[in-house]
Amino acid sequence: MTQPAISVSGVSKDFLLPHLRQRTIKGHVLNLFRRRRILEVQHALHEVTFDVRPGEFFGIVGRNGSGKSTLLKIMAGIYTPTRGGVLINGRLVPFIELGVGFNPELSGRDNVYLNGALLGFSRREVDAMYDDIVGFAELQDSMDQKLKHYSSGMQVRIAFSVATRARADILLIDEVLAVGDAAFQQKCFAHFEWLKEQGTTIVFVTHDMHSMKKFCDRAVLIEDTRLVAEGSADDVARRYLELFTPAADP
Amino acid sequence: MTDSLVRARNRTRYPLILLRAMVVTDFKLRYQSSLLGYLWTLLRPLAMFTILYIVFVSFLKIGAGVPYYPVYLLFGIVVWGFFVETTTQGLASLVQRGDLLRKINFPRYVVVLSISGSVLISFGLNMVVIVFFMGLMRVPVRPAILWLPLLFLELVVLSVALAFILAALYVRFRDLNYIWEVLIQAAFYAVPILYPLTLVPTAWAKLLILNPVAQLLQDARYAMVTPETETIVQLYGGAWAYIVPLGITLVLAVFSVVYFKRQARYFAEEA
Repeated sequence: MTQPAISVSGVSKDFLLPHLRQRTIKGHVLNLFRRRRILEVQHALHEVTFDVRPGEFFGIVGRNGSGKSTLLKIMAGIYTPTRGGVLINGRLVPFIELGVGFNPELSGRDNVYLNGALLGFSRREVDAMYDDIVGFAELQDSMDQKLKHYSSGMQVRIAFSVATRARADILLIDEVLAVGDAAFQQKCFAHFEWLKEQGTTIVFVTHDMHSMKKFCDRAVLIEDTRLVAEGSADDVARRYLELFTPAADP
Repeated sequence: MTDSLVRARNRTRYPLILLRAMVVTDFKLRYQSSLLGYLWTLLRPLAMFTILYIVFVSFLKIGAGVPYYPVYLLFGIVVWGFFVETTTQGLASLVQRGDLLRKINFPRYVVVLSISGSVLISFGLNMVVIVFFMGLMRVPVRPAILWLPLLFLELVVLSVALAFILAALYVRFRDLNYIWEVLIQAAFYAVPILYPLTLVPTAWAKLLILNPVAQLLQDARYAMVTPETETIVQLYGGAWAYIVPLGITLVLAVFSVVYFKRQARYFAEEA
């Protein structure tokens, strides 16, 4: 039995509702005088447990607000779970969003170096791969322009091109593919397929059952903060679609 | 290399890469769209100096008794400037980079350190200007100048510690920037930046000098500009009084590490 790549055990996450949270000193002082503090807790995840095996293309599906993005952020180590824990075996790189840290006031070139640093590449390492990155994004002529003059498609291309360089055993991907045109999505999936062949574990959060069924080996369905289904991509996709069909029981 | 050495290098590798990238970015962004660019790092304290010099020296004749008063004043402005920039920019740093905190998992302290790093670079450039002025005014260099690195260390530790505490607090308490701004304004007059301490009644001077910024500024002026300046040793007639400013600095440094570490895991949710 091999160790799981990711082991999520009994993870719960509670948030204090943002609009009730006291963000000012005045609020804190006023709170001291109230007999009962108003703290409304929002449960974002409840006792979620599952394993991701090494080399798997693993889907996390659920409706908006079900808690799946919170789950991804906990797996990425960005949020701390209220209860439970996550074990990671290997180097994990999250793609919560493409082009994190991109600065519109900097040139495309500077942004490549900055984004590379966020992925853990030194300047010298980015130097070595710079031409490949620019070539892959097909943006040779615009690298000295400021990023704010790029079209959104160009921004996504350069961001993705840097992202493909990340060396990871485990990749977390949050709806990155929602952006870009069909040709770009094709390119993304081709890259993920290639990564999978290299033995990379990929966790993929999505609404899109078509791509989920096409790529994922297994998946979990998160509904209303709980894990309600775990199994093959086809089974989980069916359960997901059932959420939207009113029960036909007599 | 042994296993633990490799691991130690791997642990510091990522923060160092990030730190460097962020300092470079910060510096580029700060001056790239201004005409004079990096020159502003130097021009700003010089402009401030000119204003204060005209008001306080030409009209109010405050620094009349102090030798090399222009250098003495400029030096005070530059040291104070470092303290102000590090703490105010540090305070806002985590909230400003909230986008980054919410999307990737990286050592949070890098954000605050990168701000301190770019302010430190400006400080270094300003010191070059001061050395130039010292040459111009033929300020004699004395062996006491050897204390300067230690005093700058105290300045950096104090400012960065406060930056860490303020940054972590600001994530929760969004009034803090206004409060800090007012405190800084008040402190500008409580620290003997433009007036010599000899103008203040001794009892007050003894109190003011216990502020670490005042203590290190006076000591640094003593070391670099002129021995005719009141330091904590002269005011208290001994080195024992150092226990207060150094104690404050040390306590803040330890507290900043403990507090920042404890709060860091919630920054992604709250920033």
